[in-house]
Amino acid sequence: MADALLRIEHLSVDYAVGAGTFHALKDVSLELLPGQVVGVVGETGCGKSTLGHSIPRLLPEPPAKVKSGKIIFEGTDLLKIPKWRMPGVRGTGIGMIFQEPINSLNPAYRVGDQIAESVRIRKMRERGLTPRVKPDVKGFDYSKRELPKASEVVTGPFIPPNVTQTLKTRGPPMTKEIHAEVLDFLRLVRINDPERIVNLFPHELSGGMRQRIMIAMALSGKPALLIADEPTSALDVTIQAQVLTLMKELMEEVRTSIMFISHDLGVIAEMADDVGVMYAGHMVEFGPVAEIFESPRHPYTKSLLRSIPNKYKDEGVLPSLSGSVPNLAKLPDGCSFNPRCPMARDVCRKNPEPPLAALPPGPMGEVHKSACFFPDEVPSMP
Amino acid sequence: MATATVPATQAAGASGSVVPARPPGRLWANILLVLRILAANPLTLVGFILVVLVSVAAVLIVAVPAVSLLILGHSVSILPYPALDAGVFPVGQSPSATHLFGTDAAGEDVFSNVMTALPTDLGIGFSVAGISLIIGSLLGLVAGFWDTPGTLSAAGSVAILRVTDIFLSFPTLVLALAITAAWGRGEIQSELAVIVTWWPFYVRLTRGEVLSIKVQPYVIAARAAGVPESKILFRHVVRNLLEPLAVYFSLDVGTVIVTYSTISYVGVGVPPSIPEWGNLMYSYQDSLLTQPWTVLSVTAAIFITVLAFSLLGDGLRDILDPRSRRIMATTAAASGQAERP
Repeated sequence: MADALLRIEHLSVDYAVGAGTFHALKDVSLELLPGQVVGVVGETGCGKSTLGHSIPRLLPEPPAKVKSGKIIFEGTDLLKIPKWRMPGVRGTGIGMIFQEPINSLNPAYRVGDQIAESVRIRKMRERGLTPRVKPDVKGFDYSKRELPKASEVVTGPFIPPNVTQTLKTRGPPMTKEIHAEVLDFLRLVRINDPERIVNLFPHELSGGMRQRIMIAMALSGKPALLIADEPTSALDVTIQAQVLTLMKELMEEVRTSIMFISHDLGVIAEMADDVGVMYAGHMVEFGPVAEIFESPRHPYTKSLLRSIPNKYKDEGVLPSLSGSVPNLAKLPDGCSFNPRCPMARDVCRKNPEPPLAALPPGPMGEVHKSACFFPDEVPSMP
Repeated sequence: MATATVPATQAAGASGSVVPARPPGRLWANILLVLRILAANPLTLVGFILVVLVSVAAVLIVAVPAVSLLILGHSVSILPYPALDAGVFPVGQSPSATHLFGTDAAGEDVFSNVMTALPTDLGIGFSVAGISLIIGSLLGLVAGFWDTPGTLSAAGSVAILRVTDIFLSFPTLVLALAITAAWGRGEIQSELAVIVTWWPFYVRLTRGEVLSIKVQPYVIAARAAGVPESKILFRHVVRNLLEPLAVYFSLDVGTVIVTYSTISYVGVGVPPSIPEWGNLMYSYQDSLLTQPWTVLSVTAAIFITVLAFSLLGDGLRDILDPRSRRIMATTAAASGQAERP
């Protein structure tokens, strides 16, 4: 097995707010292999975004506090390095796409200048002019991507020919080459007239366009790991479809590892290789996307899946999971899902939270983990 | 903006160059846009013109005599008559063509007196507000940006804020009067006294703005892109601070002039020998009933100057904020500017 690009071990994050301590993340472990797409799914308030933000250490501290755990990225524990060195990891090591494209671009600058900032940061690091935490970290490389088949040549013109350009000069990057790269990255995210777009202010663009710009900005750092924190939640459905299609295409082209956070199981099914299901700060189930969707091993996953409408079946009223995510300051005794669980019994209420345990490997040797006392009793999806 | 960039874009597209030059007329387009916004907002235009007129007049009043003394050997003034020159004209003449604002009880030309005071007052307005802006915004920036609880810098921030609170707890005018009275009469002393009471407002304003800007998603997004903290501070936080500060500053110049005139009027500001509106007001107050034009002229001068800066400040927000710019520009161009392609 290849070395993991990112390994999160027993990560716990607390928010100390006036009313008490909220355990936003509790003992979360996760592994991400190079080139892999991991989906993280769960209801609102279950710690998905906290997980995403904690990896590049972007949580506001205080109130947030990492209590324990390790975030090992490319062999370095990010929680051990001093905070002032973190900018050397961000951008070129870990890129991020945010939920709100409306506010994620600085209103005072033209979008071209904002992407240029990101390109300049990468170029300075590539040339060794500014320090980066892991000098040998290589971001994604277009030259390694599989060439499109003749039938797929449609996507050809979008792919910038000179993004793979290796550095020829030393010294600070020139404005002209940065500008050329900015245009290339705008073309990469399917913006047809980048020469005009670079000169616009963020408020002159629609939400979908802004999210494209954000994606271009994140990609222009050529990160080894891209964290997409609900990149489509703030967009309307048609634009969502466009952005998702774009991201799906980009995944094939740039072959970077992605952590895709979403509350939308359909989106995750489209995008991810592995899925982690989160509930109340815990990772309750983890496994390959097909496994999770066909035979979930946690009643929470099961309930989530049951509430997706099926267009081929007239089901009448969709089953929904009653109640909401428990208050993270005072979780129920036992398994934190027990008040809402259809299978809950005394064992679930009395014993402490079950750990995320590996189930017997499937026929292909795939790893499937569940944090339920009775994973085998969860019925398969019809 | 869109109309200005279109030709450049087309040119770049036609030649097919990889690196199209930035639209050549960016600066010119910006100036045009500002003018268009001004035209759409007549009150701002009035304020803008008044500020320009007042500033140009102040510069000429100071510069022309000095320059002419250098070049011609004798000083030439743009004022109709020498100022503060008692007993030259008949006493107490009402405004006429020869004496625009009439003459006062000492036989001086009121117009010349009022205009001589203009550079002094404008200079005081700009310098007091400007120095307060620099001191206050720097302290506010520090107090707002480095306020993570439990760190040494947070202790410094708290100290700055508590000192600010102490200064703010005194009524501005009373504190300024007390300080001037203690330091003695003089232009520098009284200016410093006003600055001492003035900077805390800028600390409050700046800190509040910094606190709201630094948690904006775009600041976090910049951080996520690997931008170091120093650049976050200057490129992202300070840049977005400039708008509110510029607006507040331009409104503030007028307020400073009023406050300073009040101090002089009470008799603790500049020495009586220096022409200043507060001083003039003091010397004219006895003739309020017999020669009302004297007091009214000084009042009008203060009123127009303060009004000019207030009007400008209101409009400045529209000019500086890129978001309102486009809206203003499109509403201004009633000629049917085409929608963005």
